Amino acid sequence: MPQLNPEFFVSQLFWLAVFFTFLFVFLWRVSLPRITTVLEKRQNKIDENLSSAKELQEQAMEIEKKINDQINKAKLETDEKIKETINVLQEDVSLQLSSLDKDLEKKVSDAEKEILKSKDDQMKNINNEIVNITKLTVGKITDIELSDNELNKVIETHKGNFN
Amino acid sequence: MAAKDSPLKQFEIDPISNIELGGYNISFTNSSFAMLITVLVITLFLTLTVNTRSIIPSRMQLISELMYNFIAQLLSDTVGDNGKRYFPFVFSLFMFVLIGNMVGMIPYQFTFTSHIIVTFALAAVVFIGVTILGFLNHGIKFFTFFYIPGVPFYMHPLLIPIEVISYLSRPISLSVRLFANMLAGHTLLKVFAGFVVSMPFFTGVFPLAFIVALTGLEILIAFLQAYVFAILTCLYINDAYHLH
Repeated sequence: MPQLNPEFFVSQLFWLAVFFTFLFVFLWRVSLPRITTVLEKRQNKIDENLSSAKELQEQAMEIEKKINDQINKAKLETDEKIKETINVLQEDVSLQLSSLDKDLEKKVSDAEKEILKSKDDQMKNINNEIVNITKLTVGKITDIELSDNELNKVIETHKGNFN
Repeated sequence: MAAKDSPLKQFEIDPISNIELGGYNISFTNSSFAMLITVLVITLFLTLTVNTRSIIPSRMQLISELMYNFIAQLLSDTVGDNGKRYFPFVFSLFMFVLIGNMVGMIPYQFTFTSHIIVTFALAAVVFIGVTILGFLNHGIKFFTFFYIPGVPFYMHPLLIPIEVISYLSRPISLSVRLFANMLAGHTLLKVFAGFVVSMPFFTGVFPLAFIVALTGLEILIAFLQAYVFAILTCLYINDAYHLH
């Protein structure tokens, strides 16, 4: 078996030492630091992006909060204004309603008075007519001339029967 | 066994240029050449693919990063935070064995990991390093590593020698595992390759098909053995920190 031939043992060991030492030192000092740098750079970049994304998210949330606040504020203000307007309108309406009511009441009472007055007038007229008619009728039938006062007395006593 | 077409002939070392230093033969051989190729492939690949250092990686850069993360994950899973210091060493070890195995899968290329002296040297570095680390971390208390707590006292005369032997056999098991896997796989490939040529008519396609399948398996084993080498190194480092 050539592996057990010691002829080249020293040569094998020598060149192994040379090449492996070179490889070790080269990788240790040159290649591996490069890869480490790249990996660290990538990790830093990822971390940076993550943190900036987080920051942006926070900012967005803040802005959203502000918007919501303003919307709420605006809503409250509008509600207040609507209420105020409603109140003003209601007062106005009630005022007008009450003045209308007063007018109407006045008109109603005026009308009632007029009606009463005309009723009285009519009643007087009716009494007069009754007196006249009665006077005429009695005069025509009996030739008795009745004075107005007598007639009025009679009519007054029978008034309840007419109505 | 030294026949011209022996399946073990592929493991023979041929010097490319004869060099002698202080009376020792340190010829640059086909094995050294395979190591050179391995080191060049690793260094060039890891350097050029990450050259742009782009945050969004290219496919090739991604491969380098995957390897990096693979070993980093392995080390943090087994050793924890202490393991970060040994990352360059474990990574070099893993890449050296992995690419050495892969270079060996190229036809007519030499597989230096199929030489016990190479794998033993690597395992010895791990073993000596871990032992020194254990003494640095725990001083003389490191010997309690061989004392298993919670065992009846009369078992210790039996268990302590077993623990010591198992500890001392670590570099052997570590190196022989890799060496034997590579040796067996490449020998098997060569044997079946011999069948392709020697079988009559077209029946040679059957061993050829077998070789194709076996090549896939060997690539898997090449990766697996590098992984096993790395994870065992990690476990040994962990032992040097947490005795039991």
